[in-house]
Amino acid sequence: MIEFNDVEKIYPGNVKALQHIHLTIDKGEFVAVIGLSGAGKSTLIRCINRMHDITSGQLFVDDVEVSHLRGKEIRKFRQKIGMIFQSYNLVTRTTALKNVLVSFVPQLSFWRKMLGLFSKEHKIKALTALDQVGIVDKAYVRVDQLSGGQQQRVALARTLAQYPDILLADEPIASLDPVTSAQVMDDFQRINRDMNISVIMNIHHVEMALDYADRIIGVRDGEIVYDGKSEDVTQEVLDHIYKGNVEELRETYEGEQAHVQ
Amino acid sequence: MYNKIIPSKKWTLPNGKVVEEKRSKTPFIFFVLIVATWFSVQLTNFDMQTIISEARQFWIIFADMIPPTWSYLPEVWQPLMDTIKMSLLGSIIGSIVAIPVAYLASSNIVLFKPIVVLTKVFLSILRTLPTLVSALIATLIFGLGTFAGTVAIFLFTVSYVGKLLYEQIEDADMKPFEAMESIGMTRRQAFRYAIFPQVLPNFLSTSLFCFEGNVRYAAILGYVGAGGIGLLLDENIGWRDYTNVGMILFMLILTVYIIETISEHFRKKLI
Ligand SMILES: Nc1ncnc2c1ncn2[C@@H]1O[C@H](COP(=O)(O)OP(=O)(O)OP(=O)(O)O)[C@@H](O)[C@H]1O
Ligand SMILES: [Mg+2]
Repeated sequence: MIEFNDVEKIYPGNVKALQHIHLTIDKGEFVAVIGLSGAGKSTLIRCINRMHDITSGQLFVDDVEVSHLRGKEIRKFRQKIGMIFQSYNLVTRTTALKNVLVSFVPQLSFWRKMLGLFSKEHKIKALTALDQVGIVDKAYVRVDQLSGGQQQRVALARTLAQYPDILLADEPIASLDPVTSAQVMDDFQRINRDMNISVIMNIHHVEMALDYADRIIGVRDGEIVYDGKSEDVTQEVLDHIYKGNVEELRETYEGEQAHVQ
Repeated sequence: MYNKIIPSKKWTLPNGKVVEEKRSKTPFIFFVLIVATWFSVQLTNFDMQTIISEARQFWIIFADMIPPTWSYLPEVWQPLMDTIKMSLLGSIIGSIVAIPVAYLASSNIVLFKPIVVLTKVFLSILRTLPTLVSALIATLIFGLGTFAGTVAIFLFTVSYVGKLLYEQIEDADMKPFEAMESIGMTRRQAFRYAIFPQVLPNFLSTSLFCFEGNVRYAAILGYVGAGGIGLLLDENIGWRDYTNVGMILFMLILTVYIIETISEHFRKKLI
């Protein structure tokens, strides 16, 4: 369970990225966070695994107060939380398998780390993770020879190999075409349902968000302006989240349509 | 600034829009280069006449070297091997040591600024020190011989490979680094698994290139007593034994050529 209690995040230079955040996310939920660019979605997600520090308030993950963790505890804590990025964030020069294997690095002995050696057991776990997202046949292919969708699957496999309780995804389909996007979203859904992993996803594609997520959180100017079931999201709600900025909304839609053609 | 002094060109499109084109800096840079060349010729008393008249002398000495004393080979062999060993050992250890040094000099990896600045300053100081000078200092500390030469080569390699490596690291893609941190790695581990694979091919190539150059440097280190073939060269030039000099140079050129060819072959494979 994730619990935000009046969380605030101010970046250096007095940029207020998050304010008055109250939020509870239960285990196994599929939550989509939507909002305009610069609304604070990435910041919100990155506070959960302590990639960013909050400036005030409290944030609990499974009853652990995140801001109280120190050094080694933070790293231990992060191992339970997977993260997926818009640009996949893989090491492109090496194979898919090696990219998945890195999730075992925190458990390796010093010499294995130095030499980059992994045990047989780790390799089998990594290959299993690749199999779970359907690209085990690409295990020995260099990542820069894979398509965007395949790369995002490698990234998914990398986090699956961690056996995370929570999966944070920062615009995972923003660089993908609609068909591939749907496939990757299906992967997320399967992971969410079959493995009971909570998914918290930032997403610009509103229709996808409504299709796949159980719950929508609307963020505007660093504050939560909507929090409810996806079925309850109406055009008014969207206008409210996107600040009544219909112009912007239309542009996004048109952009997406152009993409389809 | 340049574009403020020299106004940019304006194009007016048929529909009335005005597009500005900034003036090229090329003529200005060209002019500066010519002025700089002229000044350096003045300052160094460079004289084309001397070059032409003394060129004859060069050919005379060159002619004296031919044919080289082939029988001198056994005596050349040992110092030549010393030279290669010196540069090989210095290059290998230097390249390895360059990795942690470059790590400390990379502002995107080490967040504590004073360490980054100090390491960078240390590397530039090391680089400005000519190898011959560091070899001389090394002979004063470690005594005459190949060890001093190895130390000098080592220092140069650290400074050269270290600089090129930290530039590579600072240019590397930090996104996988972020992902490694999110997995729960320390910054050092994230460097090892996200950044090092990116810079490795270039690092190996730089190290090989540095080794090529080091063989040539090592050849003259003997002049300051730091071992190797330079000592032999110095002696024979002193005695004006030009056929021996010819033999030494022949072997040196051959060695450098072979090493460069092999190294180039591997460097091409790396990139
Ligand atoms: N490292 C940082 N330092 C200072 N300000 C930042 C930093 N990161 C983000 N911000 C600011 O915080 C605000 C929220 O940024 P954030 O990245 O969370 O938005 P976002 O909703 O994810 O936007 P997008 O949809 O474009 O990714 C923005 O005003 C941004 O400029
Ligand atoms: Mg963002």
